[in-house]
Amino acid sequence: MSATPISLASSNGSAIEFDRVFFSLNGRPLLENLTLSVSQGETLVLLGRSGSGKTTTLKLINGLLMPVEGEVRVSGRSTRTWDPIRLRRSIGYVIQDGGLFPHFTVERNIALVPRIEGWDRQRIEARVRELLELVGLDVELASRYPSELSGGQRQRVGVARALAADPPILILDEAFSALDPITRSEMQKEFRALQRRMRKAVVFVTHDLREALLLADRIALMEEGRVVVNLPMAEFRVSQHPLVRAYREAFSGPEETR
Amino acid sequence: MTSRIHERQIVRHRLAQACCALLSFALLFPVVGCAAHPHAIVIGSKNFTEQLILGELFAQIIEAHTHLPVERRFYLAGTFICQQAMLAGRIDIYPEYTGTALTAVLKQPPGGNKQEVYAHVRDAYETKFNLAVGPPLGFDDTFAIEIRGDDARRLHLTTLSQAAAYTPQWRAGFGYEFMERADGYKGLATSYGLRFAEPPRVMDLGLLARSLVQKQVDLIAGNNTDGLISALDLFVLEDDHHYFPPYEALAVMRREMLKMHPEVKQALDLLAGKISDDDMRRLNYAVDGQHRDPVTIVREFLAAHNLL
Amino acid sequence: MDLLHFISTNRQQVIELTIEHITLAGVSTLIAALVGIPLGIAITRIPALSKPVIGSANVIQTIPSLALFGFLIPAPWIGERAERLAILALALYGLLPLIRNTYAGIRGVDPGVVEAGRAMGLTDRQLLFQVELPLASGVIVAGVRIAAVLSIGLATIAAAIGAGGLGEFIFRGLAMVNNQVILAGAIPAALLALAADFLLGLLERRLTSLQSRS
Repeated sequence: MSATPISLASSNGSAIEFDRVFFSLNGRPLLENLTLSVSQGETLVLLGRSGSGKTTTLKLINGLLMPVEGEVRVSGRSTRTWDPIRLRRSIGYVIQDGGLFPHFTVERNIALVPRIEGWDRQRIEARVRELLELVGLDVELASRYPSELSGGQRQRVGVARALAADPPILILDEAFSALDPITRSEMQKEFRALQRRMRKAVVFVTHDLREALLLADRIALMEEGRVVVNLPMAEFRVSQHPLVRAYREAFSGPEETR
Repeated sequence: MTSRIHERQIVRHRLAQACCALLSFALLFPVVGCAAHPHAIVIGSKNFTEQLILGELFAQIIEAHTHLPVERRFYLAGTFICQQAMLAGRIDIYPEYTGTALTAVLKQPPGGNKQEVYAHVRDAYETKFNLAVGPPLGFDDTFAIEIRGDDARRLHLTTLSQAAAYTPQWRAGFGYEFMERADGYKGLATSYGLRFAEPPRVMDLGLLARSLVQKQVDLIAGNNTDGLISALDLFVLEDDHHYFPPYEALAVMRREMLKMHPEVKQALDLLAGKISDDDMRRLNYAVDGQHRDPVTIVREFLAAHNLL
Repeated sequence: MDLLHFISTNRQQVIELTIEHITLAGVSTLIAALVGIPLGIAITRIPALSKPVIGSANVIQTIPSLALFGFLIPAPWIGERAERLAILALALYGLLPLIRNTYAGIRGVDPGVVEAGRAMGLTDRQLLFQVELPLASGVIVAGVRIAAVLSIGLATIAAAIGAGGLGEFIFRGLAMVNNQVILAGAIPAALLALAADFLLGLLERRLTSLQSRS
């Protein structure tokens, strides 16, 4: 019994919408007046430093957290009305260092959602092979354990796992931040290629400007729980907003003020 | 590549082997146990001399009159443990007293004469526990109020009622348990209207007889079958008010065992009424006073009564 | 050696008492696991319960074993047969290590792994059986090991209330003032405890190494 494909978009084409969302924990406000949207096929990068609320925003998408005020809509429906299990199985989630189950082989890790969705064995096996190829891993690695893999390999497995049930939405939290620069660069390029093929709605969290510029269709810059700047990538790159400038300088040295 | 899978498979295989080994080992036990011995008759006893002698008596008479192997499990720590062992089938026979069966096992108040108590215990054990009770062996190990033989003869005393007249001039010595029990000193004093020159001395059971002989006390409470009674020329006053419940000794037996081996009951019944109070005292004395081996003295006793 | 002679002449009894002992310790450890592991799981789900549950198990632990055996004697049905009573009491003593180890084992699972599982849409039940329990299994088996060894030791005292087992040799030997008999009970009991500790320790190590770090 496989999952029925999720209807791709709401009436206005957005896969994910945040509508004046306010979130606090133990009295501390973490997100304030957050409004943004992601269309199917679009990659939104949430950029910001630690503590700016990026991870919290991600967790509001897959229902790990619920907004205190306002609404988060996935495929047009409020996350409050979604069955949390169905919601999460429709969203691929990749975290730093993979979050792989140490007691499962690579194959079992990737096959996780298909298995619990009741796919038959052959379909699962074929899918695993397909995904390993997709993320550039040797099929022989299928029977290895995460502890036997390098960081880059683990991350690829993490991406494969997130893609396994072909969810319409992908969210990634600092997915490449723990990798060495060369591997990181490889992963970014491969991911970019994957995105163009798959046209999923992607929300990618990072604190790295260069990564954001490489992967994003839009960039939302967050600071202290608010979205400060939300622009298409090309505009963001040349924006003169003080915070954006501060970011650019941090990555490439001071700029001359014209 | 497949090394890890292979390793896991080896581990699983080893674990399975270990489990199989454990299981077969565990299953082997009952088989080995049964094969080691065709079912022996297990005789238990409590952990004081008289019980050891009675247990040995049961064992030897069964050995002499049946072809069954007998196992001895003596020194069990008390009535409760013996009873549990009977119910669990761990022992088949042990010596018990009617009074103890009534109060400690059946948890009923003491009362009634010998016949009443015996009948009641026999019937209750059958219905409640499915245990059989043999005929009384012939002696009563009840509490014995003892005075020096000299005094008994000089004052022509045979019963407690008679002695009550002299107690205001005497000192008494009792053990802790006798002082505490409701059916001990308090009830006795009430029943016979006893008063003593001073409050009774409380001391260790082992010291009572010696204190009596050395005239530190004039009256003590001991056991009717104490080995030292004759040896020290002590006299047991008759309980003419029948204050103390009877403690007739008999064999408690498992009915399942008797169904399979009725010859066991036939052998034990040979002991009915054969052991008088005096006989038991002598046997106890042989072990406690003369430090002789219970096995030998039991054999001699059985031979002397043509029971072997 | 006198002891070996005693054991070989009384083979039947030694075997019988050893089986009784294994039964007492084995059944009670099994019961403790069947009750303690679910309880341990429950308190990871309902944190408010953790204090009262672990607190109660702690209190039971502080009752001297002989006293606990004694309390239970007047209980209906349980107190009528010493084996039932002993098994109940031993099971109660085994609860604390099992509850505590189950709780600690599950809580000790890498929270990142658990959250990843939850984020991917595993139901609570799937998380429990596919992630948390397997990863906690080493620690849980350590709890079983502790409970088993504890049971084997305490079962020797159960003989004092007539439950049988190797303790019966010890108590009889004490009454007889006979070392052979005492050792005939004490040594097999110690060997049983060592064997249980060793075998369960092996299992524990295997399980822990199979779930090694990510």
